[in-house]
Amino acid sequence: MVTQKIDIKKPLEILSRGDDSKLETNMNACVKCGLCAESCMYYLAFKEAQYVPGAKAELVSSIYRRYNTLAGKVAPALFNAKELNQEMAEKMVDMLFGACTMCGRCVKHCSIGVDIPYIVRKGREMLAAMNMVPATLQSTVDAALNTGNNMAIPQEEFIDTIKWMEEELIDEMEDVNARIPLDETDKSVFYTLNPREPKFFPLSISAIAKVFYAAKESWTISSKYYDVTNYGFFNGNNDQAAQIAGYLHDEIHKLRGKKLVLGECGHGSRATRWEGPGYLKKKFDFETITVVEVIASYIREGKITLDKSLNSSKVTIHDPCNLVRNGGLYSEIRFVVKSSVSDLQEMNPYGEDNFCCGGGGGALAMSEYNERRIKIGAIKAQQIAKSGAKVVITPCHNCVDQLQQLNHTYKLGVKIMTIAEIVADALVINKQ
Amino acid sequence: MEWYQIMAVISAFLCITLLTAKLVNLIKLGLPKELSQPNGSVKEGIIYSFTGAMSPKAKESAYMHLPTYLGGIVYHIGTFVSLLLFPFILLLADKIERVPDMFLYITAAALTISSMAGAGIMVKRIVTDNLRYFSSADDYISNILTTAIQVVTALMLIDAVDPVLYYTTAALLFVWMPFGKTKHLLYFFFARVNLGYFYGRRGTWPPIKKN
Ligand code: SF4
Ligand code: SF4
Repeated sequence: MVTQKIDIKKPLEILSRGDDSKLETNMNACVKCGLCAESCMYYLAFKEAQYVPGAKAELVSSIYRRYNTLAGKVAPALFNAKELNQEMAEKMVDMLFGACTMCGRCVKHCSIGVDIPYIVRKGREMLAAMNMVPATLQSTVDAALNTGNNMAIPQEEFIDTIKWMEEELIDEMEDVNARIPLDETDKSVFYTLNPREPKFFPLSISAIAKVFYAAKESWTISSKYYDVTNYGFFNGNNDQAAQIAGYLHDEIHKLRGKKLVLGECGHGSRATRWEGPGYLKKKFDFETITVVEVIASYIREGKITLDKSLNSSKVTIHDPCNLVRNGGLYSEIRFVVKSSVSDLQEMNPYGEDNFCCGGGGGALAMSEYNERRIKIGAIKAQQIAKSGAKVVITPCHNCVDQLQQLNHTYKLGVKIMTIAEIVADALVINKQ
Repeated sequence: MEWYQIMAVISAFLCITLLTAKLVNLIKLGLPKELSQPNGSVKEGIIYSFTGAMSPKAKESAYMHLPTYLGGIVYHIGTFVSLLLFPFILLLADKIERVPDMFLYITAAALTISSMAGAGIMVKRIVTDNLRYFSSADDYISNILTTAIQVVTALMLIDAVDPVLYYTTAALLFVWMPFGKTKHLLYFFFARVNLGYFYGRRGTWPPIKKN
């Protein structure tokens, strides 16, 4: 329970900014029809009114009305215009951090088109301004700010892992030129990773290295600033989000990389590709592209050859919300997966209509909401079970982590793989 | 003009002025200034936002709640018809006998149906826990006024209501509109534009046909 006295000046300023029409629009558009309820996995899992997306948005809108509208100032009771006080702030923490993954599924199903995750993010910004970000999430952000990666992996440890993976690659390819280049300058591709990879899933680094090797790509990874994630997107602190986005921005310039290739991380890709220029208040002078798109281009240009029969198990795809609904990668993901496997069975629903795995919005970092996270994940678990697939592919390491936990809890008996891993398994390499 | 007509006209003027001011302000504020490289067409995204994305097939709020969805459509049509009829009733009341009775009775019947849809939505709000949880007095007042204008317009068309009641109801609605939930008639359009802009430039809308 948060007990410190709150200063409401800064959070209220966030609701007073007139940068564009989006804030005023979303603060006034909800008609409280409640028809978004069944679009949200929190409501589906708990069947409680507080989890209706519109009700979560109303927490922020009610404060907006109280301080920014004549009606709310004159007759707050009539318009549900609420004061921002300790009790309200605590409710916001619980609902906006603990009960929304900002997946955006409710948005397309809303009868009006209210941008709920946008409102939730505004609420989180307010809470960040009050120092009320859940400590677990904030510590993840702090680790990234202080060390350059959200898992605080020491640089030497990271270099050791990469060297170990490189040796494995050389052995597998029987080629001393099969490299995982660190800190090299003037490369076409400046590649980034989710720190979960060096920490828990180093084989996914070998997988992408194998793909780059097969495509004869000129690439490098920074030994210090390789982290594609940006939990500043989730904690609502734009200054911290900008500082983290700045690490990659500055590092690609330092190494004179041509193209920033975003590793398999949904929110990291979004925070860098779509939000990063906004955080840093400048257009990027380098191309920013996801690894899914890069692999798709290799396939289209014939730079890599794949044999689908090498992946003959039935697979399904989990669409990361930030890459598909909020990132437009629906068809690129399908193109790569269909080129790599012989038996794809879609979940229902899928694509831009998918359900979040339950681990988004920073939920995986907030252990205080673990029980909720696993419970809402039951929807994804059922989807996977119904698909009959033996393998679940998802181009996001956060999703992988949540899906692994769902796999264990709901005894799904499936294998969870990234795109690079499934592509690497289908690669036909003529050894040099 | 009678005092009650003057009151309704002043309210309508106030309503139009305040909503126009909001409209001008929203247009001036404009769309978010994005610095990222687009990956799709904003124009197509916005067009889709008002077309395909509004199709009942595309929204769970429609296809999972068909009675409410259809009731809502009918209710909104009734609201617009009532609002459009206001200037005609005000300015051409003395010429109403020239309009065929059949037309007046059909319109009145249609407005009765739409007002029943409005009443149904009100009942749903009262009896549904999920809705009561985050509803405020404004939601009920907006619903009552919007339903009431349809009822009194229907009665006015068939000359079955005291004009004082009709114009007073209209005046109350006009005063409430820029402050209450009814102002979503303006924000709805900006919400759709903002969504189309967001999903359009990210390449999500219009969606690619699934096979
Ligand atoms: S569907 Fe949209 S308008 Fe209706 S309650 Fe939900 S957010 Fe509000
Ligand atoms: S963004 Fe996702 S988690 Fe949040 S309210 Fe909407 S559907 Fe629920």
